[in-house]
Amino acid sequence: MSKAASVNIEPRPSAGLSRVMPMLSGLLALAVLASLLWGAGEVGPARALAVLAGHGDSEARFVVETLRLPRTLIGIAVGLSLGVAGALLQAVSRNPLAEPGLLGVSAGAAFAVAVALWLGASAATLRVAVAQVGALGGCLAVMSVARLRGPGDDPVRLVLAGAAFSALLASLTSLLLLFDQRTADEIRFWVVGSLAGRRLDDLAAVLPSLGLALVVTALIARPLAALALGERVASGLGHRPGRVRALVVIAVALLVGAATAIAGPIAFVGLVVPFAARALAGPDIRRTLWLCLPLGPLMVLAADVVSRRVVAPSELPLGVLTALVGAPVLVAVVRARRLPTL
Amino acid sequence: MSETLMSEPLPMPARADAPRRVAPPPGYWRLAWGERHLLIERRALIVSLLLLGLLTASSLAYLCLGQQVLSPAGAWAALKGEGDPLAGFLVRELRFPRLLAAWLTGAAFALAGCLMQTLARNRLATPGIIGIDNGATAFAVASVVGLGVSLAPPAMALVGAATAAAVTFGVASGGDTRGYRFIVAGIGVGAVFGAVTQLLLARVDIDTANQAYPWTVGTLNARPGGAVAVLGIGLALGWPLAMALARPLSLMRFSDAVARGLGVGLRRRRAQILGLSVLLTALAVAVAGPVGMVGLIGPEIARSLSTSRGVPLTASALAGALVMVLADLTGRLLLAPIELPVGIVTAVVGGPWLLWILMRPTHRRVS
Repeated sequence: MSKAASVNIEPRPSAGLSRVMPMLSGLLALAVLASLLWGAGEVGPARALAVLAGHGDSEARFVVETLRLPRTLIGIAVGLSLGVAGALLQAVSRNPLAEPGLLGVSAGAAFAVAVALWLGASAATLRVAVAQVGALGGCLAVMSVARLRGPGDDPVRLVLAGAAFSALLASLTSLLLLFDQRTADEIRFWVVGSLAGRRLDDLAAVLPSLGLALVVTALIARPLAALALGERVASGLGHRPGRVRALVVIAVALLVGAATAIAGPIAFVGLVVPFAARALAGPDIRRTLWLCLPLGPLMVLAADVVSRRVVAPSELPLGVLTALVGAPVLVAVVRARRLPTL
Repeated sequence: MSETLMSEPLPMPARADAPRRVAPPPGYWRLAWGERHLLIERRALIVSLLLLGLLTASSLAYLCLGQQVLSPAGAWAALKGEGDPLAGFLVRELRFPRLLAAWLTGAAFALAGCLMQTLARNRLATPGIIGIDNGATAFAVASVVGLGVSLAPPAMALVGAATAAAVTFGVASGGDTRGYRFIVAGIGVGAVFGAVTQLLLARVDIDTANQAYPWTVGTLNARPGGAVAVLGIGLALGWPLAMALARPLSLMRFSDAVARGLGVGLRRRRAQILGLSVLLTALAVAVAGPVGMVGLIGPEIARSLSTSRGVPLTASALAGALVMVLADLTGRLLLAPIELPVGIVTAVVGGPWLLWILMRPTHRRVS
């Protein structure tokens, strides 16, 4: 992205980015370590550390290698996709409140999966595709309702449309649950949003689409930055705004669908992460995207570790914790004297 | 204000015989007794009577239809305590109390919605959308799962609604209730309370979670008896209060400066209207759980039927009751013998409606 494209017309990569990135990477490494060391069960940090050093007892080895390691990797993937998806959505809608969870994209994916489960599907691979189709549907529905393209639109209207859309899908989902008690149990635990009990197979199923989405993101980062200067400037620079938007929608659907298929709908990550990234690196979407790469996993892993410890020995769903962190950020954005437009 | 304007004495009409000589404005009827008179808007009266007629008809259908279909005459006889004892039990013990709860909750939700929409000058600012329902749900669920609080779920719902309202208003920088920021602050507060509800439900076993289920969707199935009576009293007091506030309300639809210039004590009126709206919502949630969509749909119907002269408070309440009765009837009949909670029916109807409002370019205006 910005490194590859640093020909002479580019602004020089900011000093901030090169200073902040190592720090964030260090924090992320710490979060990964914490996620491996702490859990809700009995295997404490000391025993887990012994496993990492290569000489732990068999129980600790089992817990760390088959439970916590996949969970950590999945947390990284989920955080990465949600953070990048939020940054993309905010850039294309020029709206700091655009967030996959708030806008109903996650709800669309969750509803599609609920329907698929209700119809009898059970394979994890199918679930990913279904969730991505649902995310695409949710994306398009909310965007068309709130007419995302209008430049002078009130940013907040999009959130309202998303809230209405999510509430509608949630009630339709609970309608499905009324019919079928068998799927009800399966859906009920998935719909909250959590990283617990996910397997590496789930991650493997989403990796191809995740890679594809990141490639698309890398390709459209520059046109997106041009689009931030306005539609006509972007056209003048040789980009096609319509095509860029379509690609963004596809990338967001792939990312959110993948994350939702593994972890269930998790709101507010896509709001908080780009918010923090912009605060650290300024409004340029290319820098924001770079910072989302460590920040997204950092937030999800930190929230996940806390969610294991807060009510130990049981666990808090991850979605609950991100909502508790994210809602104050939402309020803070809205309370700012002038709503920032991107 | 220029000096010359102020110095001209305004020609004042003689007070004593003024009421008798003034002809009512077009579209109004004048009701006079002695020195006092009352202007009644013709359209508002007709709309209210129309809604009342529809409400009566749908209530009759509500009493007649179900697993056991009765004839209208049979339902009426059963209501009076004559005829078949089984039908009597069905109507008097099951259907009529539920119908009563539907009337009261629908009217309370819609009246509260109309008050808050007018106050915020925004059709979307209903108590359900700004998180009051979620707060009530979270507190009620906390009571059901036994969080060491001794209050019954309906009372806790009241406390929760008040808490959520206080937090939302506090967060949205004091008394400023206009614009979308207020609503998004409400959505944020609602999200936190929603998360708290899920947290509570995730910690308990499946049986307790099922017990709390009615409080999360909104249903008339589990109406607590005392709460219905309290709601009835609250509505009987709240409706005249709302009517008394109708005049300042209709002035407050304009800008603050205009309202203040016309003699509305804004700060006091705002507090009164907000308090009344939150109280009505809280009492209704204590009976039926979060069915807040009625607070959006009811005033919408009333407003589309009425002129824009006044604030259609009574029409909103009647339309809300009508929506609630029809929604619950639909929920009972649609998939019988499975009963759909009324909250799901109103959400499935109200969600697209809300989206449609958002799609229309004139979404900002209240009237």
